[in-house]
Amino acid sequence: MLHGFRYAAPRSRSELLDLLAEHGDHAKVLAGGTDLLVNIRGGNMKPGLVIDVKRVEGYGGLAWDPAEGLSLLPAATINDVLRDKRVRANFPLLAVCAQDLASYQIRNRATVIGNVVNASPCSDMAPALLCLGARAEIASARGSRSVLFSEFFTGVKKTVLAKDEILERIVVPASAAGTKGEYRKLKRINGHDLGIVGVAIARKNGSLRIAVSSAAPTPVLVAGLPGTASVDEAVAAVLAAVSPISDVRCTKEYRLFMIETFVRRLMEEMK
Amino acid sequence: MLENQDPATLKYVGKGALRAEGVEKMTGQAVYASDMVMPGMLYAQVKKSPHARAKILGIDVSKAEALPGVRAVLVGSELDYRLGLYVVDKDILAKGEVRHYGEAVAAVAADTLEIAKAAVDLIEVKYEVLPPILNHMDALKKDAPLVHPDLGTYDFVKAAFTPVPGTNIANLTKLRKGDVEKGFAESEWIIEREYTNPSVQHVPMETHVAIVQWKTGDDVTIWTSAQSPFTVRSLFCYAFKLPLNKVRVVIPHVGGGFGGKAGIHIEPLVACLSRKAGGAPVKFQATREEEFSLLPCRSALTYRIKTGVRSDGKIVAQKMSMYWDAGAYADYAVNVTRASGYSGAGPYEIPNAWLDAYTIYTNKPYGTAYRGFGHVEFFWGLERHMELVAQAIGMDSLEFRRKNALRPGSVTLTGEVISENSGNVLKCINEAAASIGYGSLSADEKAREKETGRKIGKGIAALHKAPAMPPFTATAVIIRMNSDGTVLVNLALTEIGQGSVTAYSQIVAERLKFRLDQVKVTVEKDTDRDPYDWQTVASKGIILTGNACILACDDLLKGAYETAGQILRAQSCDLDHDDTRVFVRHHPEQGVTFASIAVGYAYPDGNAIGGPLIGVGRYVAQGLSNLDKETGQGYPALDWTYGAHGIVVEVDPATGEFRILKIASIFDVGKAINPDLVRGQCIGGMVQGLGTAVCEGYIYDQEGHLLNPSFTDNKIPTSKDIPDEIDCAVVETPQLDGPYGARGVGEHPMISVAPALGNAIQHAVGAELLHMPIRAEDVWRAMRNSGPIDNWITKTPSGSCRSDPAARRHDPDHAITP
Repeated sequence: MLHGFRYAAPRSRSELLDLLAEHGDHAKVLAGGTDLLVNIRGGNMKPGLVIDVKRVEGYGGLAWDPAEGLSLLPAATINDVLRDKRVRANFPLLAVCAQDLASYQIRNRATVIGNVVNASPCSDMAPALLCLGARAEIASARGSRSVLFSEFFTGVKKTVLAKDEILERIVVPASAAGTKGEYRKLKRINGHDLGIVGVAIARKNGSLRIAVSSAAPTPVLVAGLPGTASVDEAVAAVLAAVSPISDVRCTKEYRLFMIETFVRRLMEEMK
Repeated sequence: MLENQDPATLKYVGKGALRAEGVEKMTGQAVYASDMVMPGMLYAQVKKSPHARAKILGIDVSKAEALPGVRAVLVGSELDYRLGLYVVDKDILAKGEVRHYGEAVAAVAADTLEIAKAAVDLIEVKYEVLPPILNHMDALKKDAPLVHPDLGTYDFVKAAFTPVPGTNIANLTKLRKGDVEKGFAESEWIIEREYTNPSVQHVPMETHVAIVQWKTGDDVTIWTSAQSPFTVRSLFCYAFKLPLNKVRVVIPHVGGGFGGKAGIHIEPLVACLSRKAGGAPVKFQATREEEFSLLPCRSALTYRIKTGVRSDGKIVAQKMSMYWDAGAYADYAVNVTRASGYSGAGPYEIPNAWLDAYTIYTNKPYGTAYRGFGHVEFFWGLERHMELVAQAIGMDSLEFRRKNALRPGSVTLTGEVISENSGNVLKCINEAAASIGYGSLSADEKAREKETGRKIGKGIAALHKAPAMPPFTATAVIIRMNSDGTVLVNLALTEIGQGSVTAYSQIVAERLKFRLDQVKVTVEKDTDRDPYDWQTVASKGIILTGNACILACDDLLKGAYETAGQILRAQSCDLDHDDTRVFVRHHPEQGVTFASIAVGYAYPDGNAIGGPLIGVGRYVAQGLSNLDKETGQGYPALDWTYGAHGIVVEVDPATGEFRILKIASIFDVGKAINPDLVRGQCIGGMVQGLGTAVCEGYIYDQEGHLLNPSFTDNKIPTSKDIPDEIDCAVVETPQLDGPYGARGVGEHPMISVAPALGNAIQHAVGAELLHMPIRAEDVWRAMRNSGPIDNWITKTPSGSCRSDPAARRHDPDHAITP
């Protein structure tokens, strides 16, 4: 049957954190709802309380601080990111990945933070955030903490977030501004589809970072490669880091082949 | 019924016209069964089997019945009605054993949808899970468990079908022409291959939905999203042993059918719930997920073809074996098998042919009609096969097709002689080839290859199809004149998006010499008001109902002339008419208006003559016959619509990813009644065919659970998947018994899209694809498969069983190094 739940739309951060502290064990946070509502309808999630964070003061949109960098707030949709000139100017990889996420209608609704807290291995935003060295600003009534995205994902649909915590801000550091990046996503149709595999590559100041989606229980980051790394070295490092499976979407063999192909091609294109 | 009318004098036929119900649909004002709410209506939900095959040990409905707001709970053991159009093999709810994942085992009607869903969750079913038969080839084995042990007791249409009791074979269709073994002996080459495709889902925008009210005294009204009001009524009455005049079927606007709403589906279950709930109207609408497994799909097929051919490219003999995976119920699949059987050699003349087509029961969601009725599936294999045969003998495949194509004087598999007016497949093939520049790459295309590193290939595939219907299929049209001289046209061919309302309006306006705005063809169908039509299927509507429209017009005018003749003191032969008056031909000023005689003419003194003008047109398929059960010989085809697709594809030679640069689709429609609608059909069908070709298909686990019952993992094409360039064109070889020479084209655009793509991909990168859908990974695998494929070539002129690898790739520019 349709799962019944209570709904709360706190207006303030403290109200939100109190709700999470009290009900976190049976609550789910609602932003765009493009994953949550589908999961509730499908019976995969049965929250007792749904907390809508779109009305929390200060939770909307994107913010830019020349020293700190770009902040993505809980109500920032994918299309907000795509429309933002500062994103295109400083972090084009974010826009490239956002452009490949679902369809225009979904992008109008889906949020960046929702895409990463959902922690799907095929997240489209995770590769960009991993490559750009973004960090998650996490809050709860107990206090705040900051976690790099390279440590944020812990398993399929699992993150470091505790039940009473909310990812209230993603910070893409100013130091990553100007990073050149590209993203390749294998899909089954030209229209909107989940990534069968996705590879993002970012280069800045002699460093090379490669992130891969749909190739392991979590999105994978290969960091620490020197900017001078050869194509073969990059391929070897990536293949050592991924562990794709065979499923209804694709076989392991083809995933491995496409990851290698995408890495090779992106490395060539971004020389 | 070709009207030998100079096309230049045609006012509406052959021209575009706005879709009659278009504005209503675009503005959201059109009412669909989904939208309908009745006073006091209850909502139904279905308990479905999580198993592919299991014994039902017990069903406990006590908790569901106790839930406040629940008005009826039903289980299979309460019901003793079986359903079927061709083979009566399906219970309304599973009894004793479930036969497929998603099968209905119980149902609830309640005050609200939420209560109904809660009640279904409270129903407890105890199962003993049994090992399912999932592969249809395994189901043919001698020791295979039987999906229907009682097959021998089922009723079926004996003139057309041959079930084999004691096996999983629901039907075996045979065709025999000439002497196939002698033909093979005379062949210089023999090439045998096997081609496969999975089940797919129709995905109509409006899922199956019905509201049924079973009133006191067994008066039943059914409002449903169905293709065929009279078939819903007749199958319903057959199951419940009710007189036909007790049941009324109403069909409002329909949000897509594609064959999935032919026959009867959820209506009987909803009716039983209404009856048990004391006569309240009950509504059920399937979810998208339920469309995939509660409701039927298109059958999977394994098609084995063995062809004997001479070195000059003439096919001498062909042995064809079709293995159709019907799923758990074969009611409709048996007719898919029959229709595919007699069409199974495609638009080619095969002097010595042998075909066996099996409909096989398995423990999977069951197959039904789907646009193309088997032809999309078997043409995948057949037109890939033609490509591979041509390649094996070192002949260009286009030339090979031309050499073997049906032409006037050719004899089909069933013994029908093709005439000048049967349609012209050669023209279709040639025009498709010309449109894509088949056989070479243009300078632009070569430059593009160089720039992108991707390979461009061009492929052709031909097609044909005749309506799959009983030989005595009939229809009728009634035209009533209103007192202002406008007319109302009633017919039961349902508007399911094909544009029938518009096309019939054009035919009626043309024949009556009326303005288009004087003609209204009703959209809503109602068995209590509309005249009989068998079904809205098979691309037969334009010929049968179109002809009935013409006859009804003539009948209406005959009545009008009779009345007018009395008033004007003239014989009918001296009368003529325009859109407002009947007049004396040689004294045009002497006339009466249609408005004055439409419902009877009154003289100034009040005396009256005539009465309401009504025209009736009846048409029944002419000259068709049942097929001989041993040889398949006979006359099954109302008409043959031929066509061909040409595709230009660009393939990444490393990854197998591809993009369709152009598709050209050509059909011999006889006469396009409305070229805009034909174009709409061609593009819509082609894109639906692309879905089948590149991304759709059911995937099961080893227990028979369907793993992709939604759009997450059963992708369908989107607007971004439409080919970059589309060329649709018609060839017009008039059909002598078609209205204004027209023949049907509703299903055909979907057929042979997949093999045209497969052939183009092969030309581009050499990938030899035998299975559809064609995913990038399949192309990648096929490109890497460097093993010999010619172990299927069992005879060559040099005696060897291995062909020269060079001969396999007659396009050396695109030969790839394994």
